[in-house]
Amino acid sequence: MSAVTASPEPKQERRGALRRRLLRSRELLVSYALALALLIAFAIATPGGWEPQRILTILGQNAQLGIAAIGQTVVLLSGGLDLSIGPVMNLASVVSSAQMRGQDGNIAQGIAVALAGGGLVGLVNGLLVARAKIPPLLATLAVGTIVQGGYYVYTEGQPKGGVAPGLQSAADAKVLGSIVPWWLVLWLAVWAVVAFLLYRTTWGRRFYAAGASPRASWLSGVAVSRYVVGAYVLSGICAAIAGVALTAYTGSPSVSGADSYTLQTVAAAVIGGVAFSGGIGRLAGAFAGVAVLVFLTTILETLNVDSAVQYVVQGAVLIGMMLVNRRLSGRGSGSAGR
Amino acid sequence: MSALTHATARRATPLGTTTLAGLKPALFITLISALAVAIAAVVSEPFRSPTNVESLLFQMAPLLLVAAGQAVVITTAGIDLSVGSMMSLATVLAAASSSSAGAVVALVLVVGLAGGLLNGLGVVSGVNPLVMTLGTMAIFRGIALLVLGQPGGIVPADLLTPLTTVFGHVPLTFLLALAGVALLWLASAETRWGRTLFAVGGDEGHARRARLPVRRTLLIAYSVSGLFAALGGLALVARIYSGDPNVGDPFALDAITAALIGGVAVTGGRGSVLAVIPAVLLLALTDNLLNLAGVFSYWQYIAKGVILIATLAAYHAAGRPSGLLTMARGGWRKGAGDASTGGAR
Repeated sequence: MSAVTASPEPKQERRGALRRRLLRSRELLVSYALALALLIAFAIATPGGWEPQRILTILGQNAQLGIAAIGQTVVLLSGGLDLSIGPVMNLASVVSSAQMRGQDGNIAQGIAVALAGGGLVGLVNGLLVARAKIPPLLATLAVGTIVQGGYYVYTEGQPKGGVAPGLQSAADAKVLGSIVPWWLVLWLAVWAVVAFLLYRTTWGRRFYAAGASPRASWLSGVAVSRYVVGAYVLSGICAAIAGVALTAYTGSPSVSGADSYTLQTVAAAVIGGVAFSGGIGRLAGAFAGVAVLVFLTTILETLNVDSAVQYVVQGAVLIGMMLVNRRLSGRGSGSAGR
Repeated sequence: MSALTHATARRATPLGTTTLAGLKPALFITLISALAVAIAAVVSEPFRSPTNVESLLFQMAPLLLVAAGQAVVITTAGIDLSVGSMMSLATVLAAASSSSAGAVVALVLVVGLAGGLLNGLGVVSGVNPLVMTLGTMAIFRGIALLVLGQPGGIVPADLLTPLTTVFGHVPLTFLLALAGVALLWLASAETRWGRTLFAVGGDEGHARRARLPVRRTLLIAYSVSGLFAALGGLALVARIYSGDPNVGDPFALDAITAALIGGVAVTGGRGSVLAVIPAVLLLALTDNLLNLAGVFSYWQYIAKGVILIATLAAYHAAGRPSGLLTMARGGWRKGAGDASTGGAR
């Protein structure tokens, strides 16, 4: 990826590796710098903005976006795209509530059904992409549309059941008297699990390889299509967790509450420097992307900016970040020519 | 000229290299649509009624225009997600500015061109088309909401009258939409720009090395898409009689669906703008029949998704040298990646 060549001397090799890592994470640095800048703007623009409790609460309130963005990142790393995230989140919201029927005893059952549903949709996506060779954009779009139609027909637009009060209160609760919201912990937990999978296992190594260069990986004996299917299943499960988290937070199931999340997850991943070409990007980038989106929205909301202007600003930030990343990767890769 | 021929002739088969050969992938969907219309006409009494035909044609007009513009952009191996918001913007501009019809139409067309040009500028400077148009989608939606916060407004009477004119049972907007599609088809198949369009979509790197005007071609392609989306918005005004900042939202996906089931390859360089006509007919027919059958309206979502997957699978299974097959082999990623990396080179 970078033009730095490894030299036989171990010390220099290490320095080369370090420089390579820095080069590779330049997009990451930019996205964190932007997130930090927005955080400072947030602290200045709003009264009491510096309080860590408020910042943590805002992050916790947006855990569902963070969790869904992790799934989107994994799919982008595999060289795909998941446009069924919003529908899967709504599906999880609808089926988990229908299972729970507002009773604490049914929480486990509700979550299990939602996760199974999300995983199943992801499996269908993955098979359509990897086996039927339908382009990811279309496969996930079509599956998302079908899922959407499915829960509309199932609920007739009026979700049944309700969120268990236990889950609802967990969404607002903090960890054991501290200022850390449970939902932020949930987000970090999902991040930790997926990060372990990606960075610390053979599966993850091969996954990155399969995303960066499917042909070379296939020739070296990696069953690429299995990794692609795995990415979509993981994304479906993440979206299902996000859907349940969102429902618990809002307190009532909805057939359309998560519609905007599909594109927001793409925006978060892209702002965080995850490339569309596959194999490039890190989960930490998606976290920065979510932070950028969340702080930006909160600043604009507290300043009472018209929601119309918010759309314009968000669109401009997305395009601007993409231009910056474009510049960076253009210089970073140099003659290696990605 | 020889460089151009070289760039286009690099494709294994000369599909899309002549005006008529480009129509080949559309044959399948044309047959299916014709068959579907014939069956519907024979089976369903209410389908045959003149009022229903009229409403079907009214329904087709906006999608025809947007899908034609989308087909041009997809031919460059790009995608335009912003067309839905652009349509909404066109409807609110038509409803909110209380000037004469001529001024309104001019304003809408200029806005459409400018919005499309903005997309094009982003794409040629290396932003992935998907992300660029995702960003402008938000921007156009924001502007539409600024112009008109709520659905409503008043469309000037001298604009509404021609828009809602019906000859017999054929709406004027439908005829104009057909003419627009035909015009764009000829432009993309017969002009120098059109030839370059296919060369750029087929292999941007080669087109660049052959010194073809890649930037200009892309700029025009996205501008055309914006312009046709704005026109589609005007055609939509003829159906809703007002402005609505959200009315265009579903059209972005419908337009992509229409272009793709019409056989336009998502990897670019193959397909025909004319093919959106049978594709739009099939989509409109599905909605119309489900409505007539009194089925719960959300079955339409399921039907559309199934149609999209089934058509793609059918193209794949038939093994025909259509763009879709190539697309399926190459994957969507390749096309989009080419378009974005090519811009930076």
